[in-house]
Amino acid sequence: MRHLSLSTRLALLFAACTAVVSLFAGVLFDRASEAHFIELDQQQLEAKLIGLRRALQDLQPAQREARLADELSRQADLSLRITSGDGQHWYDSSVQIPKSLPPQTGLSTISHDGTDYRVLRAPLYPDTADSPQLTLLLDITHHQHFLARMQHLIWLTVGLSALATALLGAWAARSGLRPLRRISAVARGISAQSLNARLPEEKMPPELAEMAHSFNAMLARLDDSFQRLSAFSADIAHELRTPLSNLLTHTQVTLTRPRALEDYREALHSNLEELQWMAQLVNDMLYLAKADHGLLMPKREPLELADEADMLLEFFAPLAEDARVNLSREGAARIEGDRGMLRRALSNLLDNALRFTPAEGDVRLSIVEQPQAVRVCVENSGEGISAQVLPRLFDRFYRADPARQEGSSEHAGLGLAITQSIVRAHGGTIRCESGAGFTRFVIELPRT
Amino acid sequence: MKLLIVEDQAKTGQYLRQGLTEAGFNTELVADGISGQQLALSGEYALLILDVMLPGRNGWQILQAVRSAGLETPVLFLTAKDAVDDRVHGLELGADDYLVKPFAFSELLARVRSLLRRGSAIAQETSLQLADLRLDLIRRRVERSGQRIDLTAKEFALLEMLLRRQGEVLPKSLIASQVWDMNFDSDTNVIEVAIRRLRLKIDDDFPNKLIHTVRGMGYVLEERAL
Repeated sequence: MRHLSLSTRLALLFAACTAVVSLFAGVLFDRASEAHFIELDQQQLEAKLIGLRRALQDLQPAQREARLADELSRQADLSLRITSGDGQHWYDSSVQIPKSLPPQTGLSTISHDGTDYRVLRAPLYPDTADSPQLTLLLDITHHQHFLARMQHLIWLTVGLSALATALLGAWAARSGLRPLRRISAVARGISAQSLNARLPEEKMPPELAEMAHSFNAMLARLDDSFQRLSAFSADIAHELRTPLSNLLTHTQVTLTRPRALEDYREALHSNLEELQWMAQLVNDMLYLAKADHGLLMPKREPLELADEADMLLEFFAPLAEDARVNLSREGAARIEGDRGMLRRALSNLLDNALRFTPAEGDVRLSIVEQPQAVRVCVENSGEGISAQVLPRLFDRFYRADPARQEGSSEHAGLGLAITQSIVRAHGGTIRCESGAGFTRFVIELPRT
Repeated sequence: MKLLIVEDQAKTGQYLRQGLTEAGFNTELVADGISGQQLALSGEYALLILDVMLPGRNGWQILQAVRSAGLETPVLFLTAKDAVDDRVHGLELGADDYLVKPFAFSELLARVRSLLRRGSAIAQETSLQLADLRLDLIRRRVERSGQRIDLTAKEFALLEMLLRRQGEVLPKSLIASQVWDMNFDSDTNVIEVAIRRLRLKIDDDFPNKLIHTVRGMGYVLEERAL
């Protein structure tokens, strides 16, 4: 059953429903007509019985037989038996009457020698205790034939209507499922180059609109990830190009003619700096790749956030003093998380904040405990970040300051992306708010 | 001190051997897992440097063989893989340290020295000294040429590390890890600033400088001829 197509399934279901309904109707009709025939037969037999009783009442026994034959001759399909009170056959109107008949009084139906009879048995003198019994037999073979034909007709109707609805159902199902085929056609056409295809949601029936919506949303997410991934690869190549070309040029120039020992040393030192920058870039990218593959699995150790923050503040103290920036922490909270990862995440934010804070400015780290989450903010004074830039801050290789070019500068622009990955690996969120004179990174980490 | 390097990439192996030999270690290099394991089991090495991916037997198998033979030789893993599972796996099997490629040679050297030092008992020194610089560990005081110098707690810890490992080039990442317990790669220039501030107090007023920058590698505390 699992492999039947949806159309076939629906067609079979329709057929089964029609068959059941028409069978039910047929059986009901069959029963009703049979009951109707029985009622007619009974009325006829009872009328005859009354007539016979009256006819036989006043007659002498010698006259009775002639009178009976006369009564019965008018109706060919009727025959009669009269038995004595103790069961002796007195009279049979026809030789075809079966030997044994139902002993009980009242109406019954029997079949004998291919002929069907409706039988009515009643005492000849209803008021006498030991009265002779009258048994009237009505040949109803033609009724039964009619009923049998009717039953055939019912079966035929059931079969034909089932077949017809199966075909109609299959057609209806196929046309009803057309939107699904449209979805599959769109899906077939999608590849890395054409992730921008979308389903026409408004043309979909309500039942499929939601699915079409989810499908489109999935495509949009894939498209977005893919765009980022392509941009990322392009960015990697772009970032590596500058240090690589520096290395190539510098090495080739150095080797073009003999030089003093000090020049070689200088060349190697310069190369070393480029290489270290590249190694850091590759390590950061591997870290991000690991995060993208869900391999960043933070430990769950109980952490006193205030202590962690103070450790970081102590680490950054020389830098802050040097830049004459006031570095402070307020608030406290306990949390479960990975000490090393969270230190790295916050250190990126603090480093970032210190870099953009003017002298005599402030960098404040605040920890606020909320019912569902712990909020950690790193806020610095100074020129705010424009609203257009905010959503791109966490993009890889994005640098808010266009004056800082790629390569050989200290920062590759992966710090905030790494911070975001770490926060996400902890099930939290990070965002940046900025206004006149301040920039604030807000991390929300779930409690427990 | 004899070190064994098992590394199948010829260039990497040669450079490592050259670097470690020039740093004063007696170094042996093999390129496959099977001979690596045989040598490692001989027990005559003070430290094993193992690549994870090796022909014949991988680094983990060698480590297992070494540990099940009852040898306590410290093991430093080098790997190009950075999966968390690998790290956990290596440490579970009894690896002592772990470096992910690409790494800086100065980092490797510093870690090799740390591992080799780990075994030897730490002398209960009460003071550390280089030239006219003296650090009193008990009273937590620093003097140079008899002149008292005030240091913050972290500056003291930094100077203590430099003094304990005088003559060694200490990479910034190692300093961040040992002094501030910050165990991650960071491109922040906190260490440069901290060293500069320490220099200001230790070296600036004296003609013979003790803290030296080794460009691109780290910092070293030593007395150099004027």
